[in-house]
Amino acid sequence: MMTRRFSVVLSCGQTLHPERQALEEQLADQLAQAGQCDVLVVPHLYDLNAAGPGVAALQDLGGDLAVLAWLSPRASHWILDRNGIRGRRGRTRLDEDEKLAADEGQSKAAKGTGRVAATRDLPDRTIYCLDLRRHRSPQPYLDAIRQVIPAVPAREAGGEVHAVRRIEEPVGRRWYPVVDYSRCTDCMECIDFCLFGVYGVDEAEHVLVELPDNCRKGCPACSRVCPENAIMFPQHKTPAIAGDLRETGGLKLDLSSLFGAAEGLLNDLDVAVRERDEHLLIAGQRPAGKADPVPKPRASETGSWGDDLDKLIDRLDAMDL
Amino acid sequence: MSTSLTFRMGQYEAEFPTDRQYAWNHMWAQRRGDAIRFGLTAYAVRLLQDVYFLDWTVAPGAALQLRQEIGSIESKKAESALFAPIAGVLVMVNEELLLDPSTINADKYGEGWLLEIRGASDGLLPPEQYLEHLAEVWPLAQRTIKGQLNE
Repeated sequence: MMTRRFSVVLSCGQTLHPERQALEEQLADQLAQAGQCDVLVVPHLYDLNAAGPGVAALQDLGGDLAVLAWLSPRASHWILDRNGIRGRRGRTRLDEDEKLAADEGQSKAAKGTGRVAATRDLPDRTIYCLDLRRHRSPQPYLDAIRQVIPAVPAREAGGEVHAVRRIEEPVGRRWYPVVDYSRCTDCMECIDFCLFGVYGVDEAEHVLVELPDNCRKGCPACSRVCPENAIMFPQHKTPAIAGDLRETGGLKLDLSSLFGAAEGLLNDLDVAVRERDEHLLIAGQRPAGKADPVPKPRASETGSWGDDLDKLIDRLDAMDL
Repeated sequence: MSTSLTFRMGQYEAEFPTDRQYAWNHMWAQRRGDAIRFGLTAYAVRLLQDVYFLDWTVAPGAALQLRQEIGSIESKKAESALFAPIAGVLVMVNEELLLDPSTINADKYGEGWLLEIRGASDGLLPPEQYLEHLAEVWPLAQRTIKGQLNE
C-alpha cells in the first residue's frame, strides 16, 4: 500500500528576532530528524514571486502539506491558493486550542450563499497551516504535525533522516491583498473602490487580484470596504485586516499614539477613503474622495503619576513577551 | 566631542546631542545637503528597546504630508507606526537598516539614521524645546504603557 505523501513547509520570517530564527532552525532540524516527511524551507510566503523557485518548489510538492509560517493560518492558506497550491483547509489541534470557532462558524453560515469557494473543485489533498507566532517552542508544532501526519510503515521510517531542502530566493518586501474565497461573494466592491488597477476578474468572472504589485504599499483601503471581510493584508498591524479573526490581544505594546498617530473615531469607509486619497496623492494623482479633516491629537493629560519606566519595563520583562 | 542635554526616564538618562534639531515625534534632524536626515532619539529608542524589524510604506520620491503614516517599527517589547516628521519629499531611506535594524540601538545618532526628507524645517525644535516637549509627554507615555500592561 502506498503511503500518502506528506511534506512540511517552513516559511521563514522577515525579522532578525533571534528567538524566531532559532525556532525556525529547531523546527527544521527536528522535523528532519523525525524522518517522517520531506521538509522544504522557503523565504516568507507572502514575499515569494509567482514565477520564482519558491513557488515552483511548493507547486511540485504532492500530497498533504503542513505549512509553518509567520502568518495567520487563513492568510497562509489563501496565499498558497493564489499561487496554485490548493487543497482542503485542514485543522490541527493548534486550531482547536486557539478556538478558531468564530472563523468556522462564519464560514459555515456562509456556505451556499454565493461564496466563490463553493463553486470551485479542489484537489484531493489537505493543507494544514500553522501560525508560528503562537508558540515559542517547537514542541506544540511538532505535536500538531504528528497528529495529522499519516503513519509511516516501519521499514520506511527506520530512523532515516530526511534532508532539509532550502530554496534560496532573493525576495523583497511585497504588499498586496489576499482574497479569502470562502468569504468572497464576487460583490465587486473592491474592484470599484481600488483606483490602482489591482483587481480584475478571471475567466469565470470571479474577483481576481490581477496586478498585485500595482497595490500601494501601506494602503489597506479595499479591505475596509469589503462587506465580507474577505480581503487580507497579512502584514497590516490591525489583526482583522491581517486575517486574524481571533483577537490577538496585544502581544506587544503599541506605541503609535506616542510616536505621532492621530487618534480619531472614523468609520471604516472614512478611513478607506482617506487612505485611498493619500495613496492617490503619492502616486501623483488627484484625490478621489471627500477629504477628511485630520483628527486632533488628544490633549496630553497631566497628573502626578509616579511609576518610572524601569519598573514598567521590568514588568514587561517579567511578562516574557 | 559635542555636548548633549539629558532627560531622565526613571533611572535611565537619555542623551540628546545639541548639534541637531528635534521633531515632535521623537526623531532627531540634521541637515545633509539640501535634505534633512532623521533618526530616532534616545527617548524613542529607550521606549522601544531592541529593534528587530523596520519597514517603510513609502518609497523615495514620495510626497509626504506632515504626520502621514510612513512605516512601522517592531522591537523586542513594542511596535509602532512611524510618521513623517515634516512635510516634504522623501529622498532616501537607510537601506542598511532593512537588513539589520539593530544599528538603531547601536548608533542611533549616527549610522542608525532612518531617512532623509527634502522639506522645510519650520516645525523642528531646538534641543532645549524638545526637552520641554518630553517633560510634557513623558507622563502620558508612562500612563499609556501602564494602561496597555493592565489589559
